[in-house]
Amino acid sequence: MPPIIRFIASRLFSIFVTLFIVTAVLFGIVMLTPPDIRATLYMPKTNRPLTDEQYQALVEKSIEKYHLRDPYPVQYVFWLSQWVRGNWGWSPILNDDVLKALIRRTPVTAELTLYSLLVFIPLGLVSGVVAAQHRGRSVDHYFRLSAFIATSLPIFTLAVVLMAIFYVMLPWFPPERLSTPLYLFVKSTSFHQYTGLLTVDGILNGRLDISLDAFRHLILPVFALSLAHWATLGRIMRSSMIEELQEDYITAAKARGIPMHILYWQHAFRNALSPALASSALSAASLFTGVSVIEIIFNIKGVSEMFLQSFLGIPDAAPALSFAIYSVIVVLIVMLGLDVIQAIIDPRIRETSIS
Amino acid sequence: MNRRIKPFLRWQYLFGVVIICFYVGVAITAPYLAPPELGKVFSPYQFVPDINNHKPAPPQPGLPLGTVGYARTSRQINIYYTLVWGTRTALRFGLLVTLLAGSFGILFGAVSGYFGGKVNRIMMRVNDAFIAFPLIAGVAFFTSIIPFIFKPEAPKTLFQSILFLLFDKPLMLGFIFFSWMPYARITNIMALRIKETLFIQAAKAMGAGHLRILFRHFIPHIVSPAIVLAARDVGAFVLLQATFTFIGLGGDSEWGAILIFGQFWIINPGGNIFQRWWVFLPAALVLISFGIGWNLLGDGLNEWMNPRISQ
Repeated sequence: MPPIIRFIASRLFSIFVTLFIVTAVLFGIVMLTPPDIRATLYMPKTNRPLTDEQYQALVEKSIEKYHLRDPYPVQYVFWLSQWVRGNWGWSPILNDDVLKALIRRTPVTAELTLYSLLVFIPLGLVSGVVAAQHRGRSVDHYFRLSAFIATSLPIFTLAVVLMAIFYVMLPWFPPERLSTPLYLFVKSTSFHQYTGLLTVDGILNGRLDISLDAFRHLILPVFALSLAHWATLGRIMRSSMIEELQEDYITAAKARGIPMHILYWQHAFRNALSPALASSALSAASLFTGVSVIEIIFNIKGVSEMFLQSFLGIPDAAPALSFAIYSVIVVLIVMLGLDVIQAIIDPRIRETSIS
Repeated sequence: MNRRIKPFLRWQYLFGVVIICFYVGVAITAPYLAPPELGKVFSPYQFVPDINNHKPAPPQPGLPLGTVGYARTSRQINIYYTLVWGTRTALRFGLLVTLLAGSFGILFGAVSGYFGGKVNRIMMRVNDAFIAFPLIAGVAFFTSIIPFIFKPEAPKTLFQSILFLLFDKPLMLGFIFFSWMPYARITNIMALRIKETLFIQAAKAMGAGHLRILFRHFIPHIVSPAIVLAARDVGAFVLLQATFTFIGLGGDSEWGAILIFGQFWIINPGGNIFQRWWVFLPAALVLISFGIGWNLLGDGLNEWMNPRISQ
């Protein structure tokens, strides 16, 4: 088996362990609530409004059926078996099946996350290397100053100021996902949703204007989201490059007369990459928090927008638990992606994971 | 020059210390800077008469930073007054959350590293699992579940007051529960490094108990990177608190509340951020400079405590 496959397999296994720990802890907290609240985790779909008596009967039935008065391990196993089968519960506030609602909104969140990853990772790596290359000179100072400013701006103030300038004063980049006429067209049956990502679907449907409009709407959110992560990644890349450039093999390569750009971009870059990507993987969770904030401020109808709005009303157990687990899964997928990139580039990582 | 204070004389770090001293000073002298009205129940929001026809009033004598109201209501808030009193909330929240999350994380990482082996592997697995947990999902989860678990009652004993403080504000509980991981991680790395050193062995040989070794010998030696992290986190937590207040997930950051009110006047049609600068920019600058101050302090502490690593 090639090492990279074994690497991915071992990472997948650790994802399952992580999910097990997270669900056990979250369900443990849910266990502190009284049984009739836990019963809402299993509520079936109800079309018409129920009277209090009917509702009580339903709750009693759920308590019986899912052993809600039993000890924690029994209940956890029951809940997990339901959960694995895709029965994530019905939310009266969302008026929808929780899992279905999550899946329907996923492409929107995925699009935003994907583009910001595509923007800040290459830019962060490149600017880190360039700053290290010009260490102590003006390029480096400008980079450090802008990285400092970028990390000090809270994401929501940045988003609001960007919107105030580039949408209200200069009508260049509006919020939401698409302009209204195009949005109505996308919702109609003549537009086929292949992936759910509007930028890709526009091209697949032969409607380039939809893709371009979707990109135009993505510019501000992606910028606001990427700025702080770009700065963090760039800083780590810079310091890890500087460390790498002091190694003996670099001196030896310099002495052999290898051109400087090859030295920087091929020799040192590959070795300096793993700490930088590893730190990005660790901040994947804060990226998700950023995505949620941006979705709410720019009114992008993604997963977090829907779920966090639902929490503003009456507390509801099923979507709260599902949203928490869903967000962990998203973060784990992003982390897995970054780990795999790291392993492809750096053989040390895929070899050590086997032991 | 004395090696111990030299790093703090670099102007950036000095600047950070000055900013923090400024905020602490404002928090202490709030009753003098913005005297509350006598004979009324205290609130960090001061309502002033509507003088600009349901619109924010510009800065003028008596209202140094003007007023802002929620949407087009006639109740206008004195921005300066709220920003001054908000300093207390921000400092209290930032320091309390950092203290609780930091001490739990340090203890977790130190215990895990001290026992090592299988215990360390399991505890660090748990730590890794929590690292994948976005703060916003944790806060949303607690906001949604806590009302079922904890019924707020007037606290009587000290223990009840602590419970009340935590559970009545699910946001704070979520912050503590989901931000101790970096502390545990960084402390654990240090713990594994000094675990086999002679002075720990000597303490063991002398028959010292686990608790004594942990608190007298172990933790004091490995705590410095965590303190650097803590200094940066005080600012970061306050920024996040304002963020969550802003998107409506609970939290009672007055600075965040001003930004909510101000937002209405600059991103709705006809808004102009430069014309009505006082509704958004002062509060935003207060928030940003607060974060910068703690960040600079963290950098300074880092250079002071780990001079070799940072250079």
